[in-house]
Amino acid sequence: MNKTLVRKTLLIVAAALAAALVLLRRPLSLGLDLRGGTSLILRVNVEATSNDRIREVVEQTRQILENRVNAFGLSETSIQLYGSQGNELLVQVPGVSDLSRVKDLIQSRGVLEWYSVEGGPFSSAADAAAELGGVVPHSNKLAATKPSPSEERMWYVLRSQPVIRGTDLRDARTALDSTEQPVTTFNLTTDAAKRFQKYTADNIGKRSAIVLDDEMLSVPVIQDVIRDSGEIRGAKTVQEAEDLAVKLRSGALPASIELMQQHTVEASLGADSVHRGLEAGSAGLVAVVATMLLYYRWAGANATLALALNGLLLLAALSCFGAVLTMPGIAGVVLTIGMAVDSNVLIFERIREELRAGRSVSAALAAGFSKAFATLVDTHVTTVVSCIFLFLFGTPPVKGFATTLVLGLITNMFTSVFVSRLAFDWELAAQGRTKRLTLGLSS
Amino acid sequence: MELFKNADFDFLGRKWWFILPSLALILAGLSSIAARHGLMYGIDFKGGTQTEIRWDGTPPIGSIRTAISSKLQGVMVVAAHGTGGSNEVIVSTALSPQENATGVRQTIENALSSITTRHSILDFQVVGPQVSEDLRHQAVMATAGASGGMLLYLSYRFRLGYAVAAVLAMAHDAVITLGLLSLLHEEISLTVVAALLTLIGYSMNDTIVVFDRVRENRRAQPHAPLTSVMNRSINQTLSRTVLTSGLTLLTALSLLLFGGPVLHGFSLVLVIGIVVGTLSSVYIASPILLAWDGRLGSKTMAGGLQ
Repeated sequence: MNKTLVRKTLLIVAAALAAALVLLRRPLSLGLDLRGGTSLILRVNVEATSNDRIREVVEQTRQILENRVNAFGLSETSIQLYGSQGNELLVQVPGVSDLSRVKDLIQSRGVLEWYSVEGGPFSSAADAAAELGGVVPHSNKLAATKPSPSEERMWYVLRSQPVIRGTDLRDARTALDSTEQPVTTFNLTTDAAKRFQKYTADNIGKRSAIVLDDEMLSVPVIQDVIRDSGEIRGAKTVQEAEDLAVKLRSGALPASIELMQQHTVEASLGADSVHRGLEAGSAGLVAVVATMLLYYRWAGANATLALALNGLLLLAALSCFGAVLTMPGIAGVVLTIGMAVDSNVLIFERIREELRAGRSVSAALAAGFSKAFATLVDTHVTTVVSCIFLFLFGTPPVKGFATTLVLGLITNMFTSVFVSRLAFDWELAAQGRTKRLTLGLSS
Repeated sequence: MELFKNADFDFLGRKWWFILPSLALILAGLSSIAARHGLMYGIDFKGGTQTEIRWDGTPPIGSIRTAISSKLQGVMVVAAHGTGGSNEVIVSTALSPQENATGVRQTIENALSSITTRHSILDFQVVGPQVSEDLRHQAVMATAGASGGMLLYLSYRFRLGYAVAAVLAMAHDAVITLGLLSLLHEEISLTVVAALLTLIGYSMNDTIVVFDRVRENRRAQPHAPLTSVMNRSINQTLSRTVLTSGLTLLTALSLLLFGGPVLHGFSLVLVIGIVVGTLSSVYIASPILLAWDGRLGSKTMAGGLQ
């Protein structure tokens, strides 16, 4: 008998330690609504009719964007599927710094191409076309440089077929060139390197054009044979060069992206309010614990232990799922606490009833737990069933509520039934032949 | 200590004491909602405008807020310091149907210029309301799905009558709370929605505890009249009902009284929800179950047996 008790106790201690360890390594962070930040809703313009294809492109886009924001050091930014159409993404950027940079990083496609230049510069597209006899032939195309501060653009005639594309890149980094200017360097795949070597060897002294998202970044003159690496100049700041490297590294987006909605929220609970809320919540919990101790005496301590363990396990589970604490999440925690308190009260009242009915202590304990357990299964499963639907159809905040609640109910079943029962068993095991339960009953 | 040792109250005999005030409250709430042309949605749901402003030097957030708040509704000013040392400010405002976006932009520009001209507007956009058709559709699906799921599960575990009564009591609680929110001029924000979800869960939990005992007692005495079985069940669970509701109400009251203004909406809904949710298990869910059984007559008198 005692051996089983020890084994069960060790299991619980191990679970508590594991939970504490998880929380120490990865503390829960606050969600966007609690600490402020910006949420962006993006539409991926997929020109596909089959749902599978749309899903594939959107997922690919999501991964690329995730790589980009991670490279940017915004690892806490979350990007998830949004809406019922399947082609919208919700990007949540915590904090509000550098918003314009983030938006640029997310919205630009990052299609890099390297063309040979056949003519230019011209001051307008019409001039460039006139040079080709008024009509741009199929083998050529026109491209313009980025507008200068005075809104001027220069036009060039390019070959339509690019020498290198974004997919030919193996890696991209930033460096400083000989004049201490920031540049973005890149490496080519073996195949592309062979092609590029031949092209540069054949065209020394001629101009080429580096085009990103249909805008010419620069028009360098080929000085030497280039094998498998090159550099892109023209960035004004190190940051700009870095951003370009990030976009090239993460690869081009498979479809263009449209910003549908942008919403910046102030932390709805400022630091001060979080503090007050926590204080008020703790005061309430202390009152609950005090009442339970007063009403149930020693058994109240069981309930408090179960409640504390439940909180610990729930937070650790949330952390394992990579969840952040949002207001709806806190609501889920609040309901979990409510149902946890209720579970204990239900079980204790049931045991008291059995005792009043004249059963022996161990029989009352067993009957109380097993009868209350049936009720708990019904209340918990019903809530989980409704949470499944909230999770399937709800918006992200509602999903957060559902996830937290389901996790909380699972941990609650463990703590209020298993842990609390074990505490009672220990109490009985510690006693001699005449067993008594301290449940606050006036005998 | 023991609260109700041998409680024997005739709850169902006094059901009208609760049902009539409850109906009155629902009517008052619904007419308040109708008079206001729907629920009052908070800025979370209404949408508005958002302006990004670059400031020359450190932006005086306080005076920007004061200058714009005096002219527009629902103003929120957030400082966004870029790592590059840029000084950006994001100003969000509400946008009522009567206002046009260009006017709002002009008002913001004028207000900013009255502070200093050393700023430039980087971006101005109208943020659509979050309650779009798509979201409405999602909300309906979530509510219908969750209710349907609970109906199915409870019909399987209990009987259809129990399931219908429990879900109706839950809907009753949600409607009363929404009505009270409208009467109390409380806006529906995301936080309030979170609290509503909490109260629905709470109410359902409470009802099932009572019903669970009814089912158990009916199994033990299949031929006893349902009214007395239900009264006995409610009395037997009375200690736990009072204790659980009292304890949770204690926490919710603590949040309401000391939690500060931001938590006000959340804790208010919780307090209302706990009181209404507890009472409705006894006075709404149980009478419905009784009526359901009475109407379907004697063939289900031995109900609750599986």
